[in-house]
This record gives sequence, C-alpha cells and structure tokens, in this order.
Amino acid sequence: MSNQYVEMGLMAPVNVTWEVTYACNLSCIHCVSDSGRKKPGELTTEQCLQVIDTMSAMKVFQFNIGGGEPFMREDFPDLMDYSHEKGIVTCISTNGTLIDDEVAGRLAHKLVYMQVSLDGATPASNDAIRGKGSFRKALNALEFLSKRDIEVSVNTVLTKLSFPELDALVDLAASFGAKLRISRFRPSGRGKKNWSQLNVSREQMLSFSDWLSRHMVVSTGDSFFSVSHEDRRSLGLNMCGASKLTCCVSPLGEVYPCAFLQEREFLAGKLPEESFAEIWENSPIFHSFRDLEIKSCESCVRFDFCHGGCPAIAYHTQRRLGLPDPECLANCVSVKSLAAVGA
Amino acid sequence: MRSESVCLLNEGVQVRSERFGLLFYDYRGPRLYFLPTKDLIKDHFFNGKHTVSNLIEYICAKHREWPCLMVKKWLNHALDMLEGKGLIYEQSVC
Repeated sequence: MSNQYVEMGLMAPVNVTWEVTYACNLSCIHCVSDSGRKKPGELTTEQCLQVIDTMSAMKVFQFNIGGGEPFMREDFPDLMDYSHEKGIVTCISTNGTLIDDEVAGRLAHKLVYMQVSLDGATPASNDAIRGKGSFRKALNALEFLSKRDIEVSVNTVLTKLSFPELDALVDLAASFGAKLRISRFRPSGRGKKNWSQLNVSREQMLSFSDWLSRHMVVSTGDSFFSVSHEDRRSLGLNMCGASKLTCCVSPLGEVYPCAFLQEREFLAGKLPEESFAEIWENSPIFHSFRDLEIKSCESCVRFDFCHGGCPAIAYHTQRRLGLPDPECLANCVSVKSLAAVGA
Repeated sequence: MRSESVCLLNEGVQVRSERFGLLFYDYRGPRLYFLPTKDLIKDHFFNGKHTVSNLIEYICAKHREWPCLMVKKWLNHALDMLEGKGLIYEQSVC
C-alpha cells in the first residue's frame, strides 16, 4: 500500500462501508451496531438510489455492505443490481439466514462478493454467540452460494469462543470452496457489554498473530495490522484507512469515519441532505482523522507496520483518540517476554 | 506498446484520476495500484478513444520543454508496467 499517495488525500473513498438497515433477525452478542429492529428514518429506496448515484459519480470502487442484516430490506436485491449497473463492486456481509436458491441466483453477478458470518465451527460454539439454529442456516447459505459459483468467504469475529476453533473454521470454509476471513472484535454496540467476557487475552492475541503468519490465505480485512508479522505486510494496509480510504454510511444516512466509530462526536454529515463530496473533502471530523498521529507510538520499532493501530479500539477502551491500540504486537511481545522470565 | 494502439482496462479493473496520478482498482486483487503520473494521463485515456501516439502528442504539446523521445520512453514504460500487472491490455487500431 502506497501510504504517501493516500496521505496526499484521495478525492474519494476507495470503498464505503454501507450499513443499509438496523433490522436483523438475529441478536448476536458481539454485534457492533446493536442491530435488531429497523429504526425510524432509515433511508428509503429512492434515497438509497441517490447514495449509489453519488458514490458512482465520485468513482467509489466498492461498497462493503452490512447492517443489521441487509436482506431484511425488501429492496436490497434491487439496490445491489443498481450498484452493479453503475460498476460498483459489492461485498455483502450477511448472516445467511435469508439466502435460499432464488436469492443466490439473483446474487450471481461478477461484481458480488459474499461474506457469511460464522463464529464457531460447530452449532454449539456458533449458536452460543449468534443464536439457536443460525449455524445450520449459515451452512445452507454457503451451499446455495457455492452452487452458484459466487465468491464467498466465511467471516468470523475473533473472540475467546472462536479462537480455539480457527483451524476447524478454515477447513469448514474450504469445504464450501470458501476462504476464512477473520474480523476483529470491537467494543461497540452489544460488543461493548460483552467485551470483557468475549475479547481474547493478550496471550491468545499473540498466539493468533503467529497463527495468521502460518495461514497466509486467511484474510483479515486489515483488522489485525497492529498484530500482524512482517510476512503479512504485503497483504494489506499498515495503517487505519478511516477517512483516508474508506468511511461509513449508516442506515440513517449518517456519514462516519468508520463503521466502528458511529458516535455522535464523529458524525461528519448526513445523506442525502448534504453533499458527500463536500463531506469527504471538507469535514473537520475527516480532517482530524487524516491528521491523527499516535505520538506515543512513533518511537516504536513497529510504527511502520501499524502507525498506532486501530483508533476505534483505542477510543472505545480509553475514550480518547490519539492513544495507541491496546492490542498491538509490541505489547503482546512484552507480555510474552514477561511470561518467559516467569517461566 | 505500439503508438497506434489504444489501451483498455482488463475485466474487473477500474481507474480514476487522483491528485498524484492514477488509482487502479482490480477486484480480482491485489486491489489497489498507484501510478504517480500527476495530470499527464487522465483516467479517460483508458476508454479506448485515444491512441498512445495521441497521448504522446498531447503531453509533448503541453510540456514543450520535454523531449518527445523522453516522453515516449516514459509513457511506454508506464503502460508496459500496467500491462505487466494485468491492469490493461493493448488493442491495435490498424
């Protein structure tokens, strides 16, 4: 990733995380957006089409679609069709429960990537997080999607419960011709309430970092650059892309630097009332993220690898920006060293 | 690249003009490629309406202080690199 060009300021995001609804038919205990019921004020179909037109005009390349559960919107397939007509790639995160053969057939388009969420390799471990019956339904979705040759990955949030099952999840994904993609657990939404119960220990994070190096085909959506070893450097970013390469549009049309910082103080603007180009170019919130420096990390040997890590994790755990990611590899390494001395 | 050719984007590749030059996106991955061309090559060059020699003429006219041979060499190098990365392909107009 050529940081020098990104730091010059891109004229539009490369991709936009678009959470299209708060409605969800599951109630996962780690949900970062506290989804469940549709909220008043969610963008209408017409407003969504306007959002797509706006992003297309700015040459945004990709939507990362989430929610809620996107397929809870009846107009969702139409919105995806319209995005594809405009040449926008859609990467759709779903719990898979509403995907049947017909829906899979509608999704079979070269610009579609699917991510089906699974947080365990067995019904017992997955359903403990995602709810009873969700494992079987997710597997059905994987079956329907793989039959249609749709590019699909299994998305797993790293938690204390999923950590012991990562190898099994790699195999399970492979059985559907899919790759495993691991996301970082973040303490927002319902994840905030269950953070201490579910978040991995430092020892587990260190072990996970080594595991990632042994599994180069596992993708991470750049969630783990703060704990990735050098050998994964070429696979993605080495810095937070919020407001630089990406941003987030909420179901209400609110624009935030990233999906994990949907707090009032980070609200940069609202669609469709305000111009997205204007928000991207001139929002003081976005500028503050572009200028954000994690000063205390600058002398660290790993600074070039992570630039201080994920500001969202730092914010949610310490309620302030500009602080280091508390789960960086340097910290994990120091924990390991102490353990070694103790041994 | 031959002068009387147009350059087209491979399937799955998109490009847009940025302040530093051109930003390519390839959905087959790896996703992004940055080409620091400033404003010498615009993204619409890849829609196939202008040949490589048209672009050389345009750049030479815009920057009369640059030897055209140097421009040609630089442009061919840049386009060869894009072709090597699988982002574009050449199509003869003759």
